[in-house]
Amino acid sequence: MRSATDIRGDFPIFQQHPELVYLDSAATSHKPEVVIKGIANFYRSENSNIHRGLYDLAVQSSAKYEAVRQKVADLIGAASEKEIIYTSGTTDSINLVAHGFLAQRLQAGDEVLITAMEHHANLIPWQMVCKWRGAKLRIIPLNEKGEIDLAAFKAMLNEQVKMLAVVHISNSLGSINPVEEMIAEAHKKDIPVLLDAAQSIAHLPLDVQALDCDFLAFSGHKMFGPTGIGVLYGKAAYLEEMEPVRFGGDMIRLVSYEDTTFAPVPQKFEAGTTNIAGVIGLGYAVDYLATFDRGEIHKRMKELRAYALDKLAEVPDIRIIGQSDHCSGIVSFMLGNVHPHDVATFLGTEQIAIRAGHHCTQPLMDLLEIPATTRASFSIYSKEEEIDRLASELKNIHSFFA
Amino acid sequence: MNPRLKELYQSVILKHSKEPVNYEKREEADQHLDAYNSLCGDRFHLYFDLEEGKIKDLSFHGYGCAISKASTSVLVKFLEGKSLEEAKQMTKEYLESLSEEGESANLPEEFEAFGAARDFPGRMKCATLAWEEMDSFVEGR
Repeated sequence: MRSATDIRGDFPIFQQHPELVYLDSAATSHKPEVVIKGIANFYRSENSNIHRGLYDLAVQSSAKYEAVRQKVADLIGAASEKEIIYTSGTTDSINLVAHGFLAQRLQAGDEVLITAMEHHANLIPWQMVCKWRGAKLRIIPLNEKGEIDLAAFKAMLNEQVKMLAVVHISNSLGSINPVEEMIAEAHKKDIPVLLDAAQSIAHLPLDVQALDCDFLAFSGHKMFGPTGIGVLYGKAAYLEEMEPVRFGGDMIRLVSYEDTTFAPVPQKFEAGTTNIAGVIGLGYAVDYLATFDRGEIHKRMKELRAYALDKLAEVPDIRIIGQSDHCSGIVSFMLGNVHPHDVATFLGTEQIAIRAGHHCTQPLMDLLEIPATTRASFSIYSKEEEIDRLASELKNIHSFFA
Repeated sequence: MNPRLKELYQSVILKHSKEPVNYEKREEADQHLDAYNSLCGDRFHLYFDLEEGKIKDLSFHGYGCAISKASTSVLVKFLEGKSLEEAKQMTKEYLESLSEEGESANLPEEFEAFGAARDFPGRMKCATLAWEEMDSFVEGR
């Protein structure tokens, strides 16, 4: 893999802010020049609405927009580009499955399984649908290292369970979940599985057919693409069954005042003028990501986490939250009794960008009996020197508050 | 470390967050205000009785960052025993001293310390959380 220093050359933000220590890639990744240029160029010289125009620009932008579907399909190993639905992001993707797919199937007394470490985006949509349908949302517990309790999970699988939704890499703990095994177990009972790949899409090799997951949700902006664009992958048979939840232009076959028939998958899920420039930008981000071997990225993330654990161990009163041996490039921690927001403010004044808070996993924080954590997260451009800066500043903060 | 930030913390905030004034849960109090910031999860409960229009036995309890804890502690220190009218006046002064550039005259040193929070817009809410809750209570009386 190319060195982080070399990779940083692809990202203009680091030239704009040479002092920036960016340890917040789990919140959003930076964007390489190819993506930024690609989007600007689209607006500058290719802009047109899609699917409707009969002039050259419209034909070309439609073709480009549709071609990104195949790129995404290739990135995740989907059988067909028709299994790729453009959404506004992971949250939107999960909401579409909860409302368009699960709500149609779910009956009173049914159950939906999620884990205790889910992001609010992979919790609330299921919680709402369960409430509407009189179904039960059941939470798969974690062990003391912040890993899914597989024995408990297996014991929860029964005939009432109609869906399993699980995060691939926890955004709060960094744990990589044993999703292969969970999917296989769920499928023994014909339970469809949605994988939240927001954190894993850029950092793990991902093949939906090898994993055999039924739905996969991710965002463009955490994989070097723009914000406001994301993807829902679904197996063709399930997408045929799934109902659209947004209605309007471009998702129809025939409309009368009395009735409407819908366009085929995937267009029936993409009502209105979509985020066309976002899709174009996503296409460039996929191309960029494809220049890396994600197995090597995964190795690099593990290296950075191991390095960070070593360095943070030198800081007094550090407690690492999430102790799984299978982790990606995310480290959550507490610095003694100093509140994470105070830590992050001090780090911020030293140009160290880090996240503090509940990371949209409030129930997990309650479970761990902590209000929040401070979280460092890495990506392909992260350097050991940034972790050194973090550790040294944390020592200062510790002595200031002591 | 950033000198302005150190100043903000050193003068008042570390002291009040380590030794908060009347830091005590008092479920039996007849008034209970819940100052909660859903963005960060900071949450402080204010407890007091109203006796002849005066705030009595004011205490607080909860969890939050050093700034929100200290600003709540300062509130408790200054509003204990005050009439609703005085409390209204004081919350206004406090909130205005944070929102405007430059310091107003004759403000307690403890108020002015939080003025440094202006340099950290992400932390302004921490300095105003409990005060805004109290402000809307006294406004509503």
